[in-house]
Amino acid sequence: MKKLLLPLFVLIISATSAHAGLKVIGKGDAMRLDTGAFPPAMKANYEILRTKCVKCHTLERTIVAIQTGVAPISGQPFDRSATKAYGVKMLRKPDSNMTKPEVKASVDLMNYLLAESER
Amino acid sequence: MREVFVTKKNRLVLELLSLALACAPLVIPTTASAIPAFSRQHKTECSTCHTIYPELNEFGDAFLKNGYVYPRAHAAGKTAKVERQGQERTEGLWLSGLPEQLPISFTATMDAAYNNDAADSLDLSTRSLRLHAGGAFREKAGFFATYNLYAQGAQSGTSQTPGNVQPNINELFFVLRQALDTPVTLRVGRFEPKTSLWKKSNRVILVPSYASTTYNLGAGSSQFSLDTPQDALEANGFLTKRVYVAAGVVDRNGQDNKDGYGHISVKIGGTDFMGNEPEVDLEHDSVWDFLSLTLGGFGYAGRDANITLSGVAQNPNDFYRAGGEFDLLYKRFHLKGSGVFGRDKNPAFSATPVVELLTHAYAFEGEYMFGVPVNMIALLRYEYQENAQGGTRRYIPAISYTPIQNTKLSLEYIYTDGPAAIDRITLGSLAFSF
Repeated sequence: MKKLLLPLFVLIISATSAHAGLKVIGKGDAMRLDTGAFPPAMKANYEILRTKCVKCHTLERTIVAIQTGVAPISGQPFDRSATKAYGVKMLRKPDSNMTKPEVKASVDLMNYLLAESER
Repeated sequence: MREVFVTKKNRLVLELLSLALACAPLVIPTTASAIPAFSRQHKTECSTCHTIYPELNEFGDAFLKNGYVYPRAHAAGKTAKVERQGQERTEGLWLSGLPEQLPISFTATMDAAYNNDAADSLDLSTRSLRLHAGGAFREKAGFFATYNLYAQGAQSGTSQTPGNVQPNINELFFVLRQALDTPVTLRVGRFEPKTSLWKKSNRVILVPSYASTTYNLGAGSSQFSLDTPQDALEANGFLTKRVYVAAGVVDRNGQDNKDGYGHISVKIGGTDFMGNEPEVDLEHDSVWDFLSLTLGGFGYAGRDANITLSGVAQNPNDFYRAGGEFDLLYKRFHLKGSGVFGRDKNPAFSATPVVELLTHAYAFEGEYMFGVPVNMIALLRYEYQENAQGGTRRYIPAISYTPIQNTKLSLEYIYTDGPAAIDRITLGSLAFSF
């Protein structure tokens, strides 16, 4: 029984701290990230994410994907390869109004957030 | 005693597993235009699959070709597991193959047509209401249906309003994805045979294009057109991620002969047919970051006839159609081109056929999507058809605007230079889906 309890305890501890690195403000459509602890470059990237991505969807969708590791619409894993694929998808979407540098900034930020959420 | 219990339990599990495996091929879906029912099912916005509806974007086309299933949904075992975590499902409904919500939606249109040469130059009374239904059953099977609830009929006598054209099923078909664990998807029922790159509805504006689908031989002759929903059985699938093929047979009433058709499309650049994004270097620019070219070819051979009151086909017309198409996408520019030609051995269904008819049609349509600051597309179409009536040229400049994604306002000017007369019609249209 002890052999079972110890890994279970470790699992519970690690699960509760899974996205301790992300500070989220608000709920639903108003959900935002607290960028207070972000490096300057990521703060600038966040401004791009905050203004460009909301043309088509809420920030909640992106934040939930980062927190859970699962893209909420497709149910697919949301990892570093997924952030790039979504970035390319938005780059090619004719009505996204995103340039390549803006997409790169968004992908860099999402990768940074994924790393932070795993801390 | 415990061993017996375990054995029985394992046997039960094995039996259930065997039953599930046996039934798996019986339960999947394929093509048709996306509808609000899909938005509800996947809890996503219309622009996931559409530019301005009903025109599909690259992802929408992949969703369609994947039988209304999110592309890459079952790329790996890990993926499938995560997917179940991500989507809240009622297990009983899921096991039964039932969609979480009744997959029904509607599209309404209201038009205003202005024709200076008509007796009633401004007509505000044209409208329609269509029911759409469609969905996937556990991503194994599915269906799609369109039912015309209302279309304006003729007004006569002392009636104050036009009547309703008889409601009818436009499409109703069942799809079996990856039938019998093969890469082949089967489609059966009444549907538009997969010949063209684009389904008839896959356009920004309402007016269907002559090529490759809607042209026919004109009044008094064979009324066959490639976009007519027909009773058919089709097999389709991906040869590779960028090569898609379809082939099918069509059953016509009153005769034993079956029609046959085939389609192939090849995509160069852009998102592949299975929904995978292309490799793009975010540090350096390349023309292939934005460019994609899809080439399509098709053939259709069949026999139609004059159906007598007793339901027998007489004076048949053997015919074929063959065509080629391209679809070029670069950033906000979208160019579509189609050409089709055909031969009819007895186009007038004559008892003593004397004239064989060769016909053709072609069309080019260029679009520019503004996207910002307004979701608007401007387009220009030029098309030509040569049929039993003679040659007809048509020019259509149009704009289409969506204040919100489910609502579309369109303004079209349709200039038709036909064998008998020139028509100039201005068409304003409001369409909304819900």
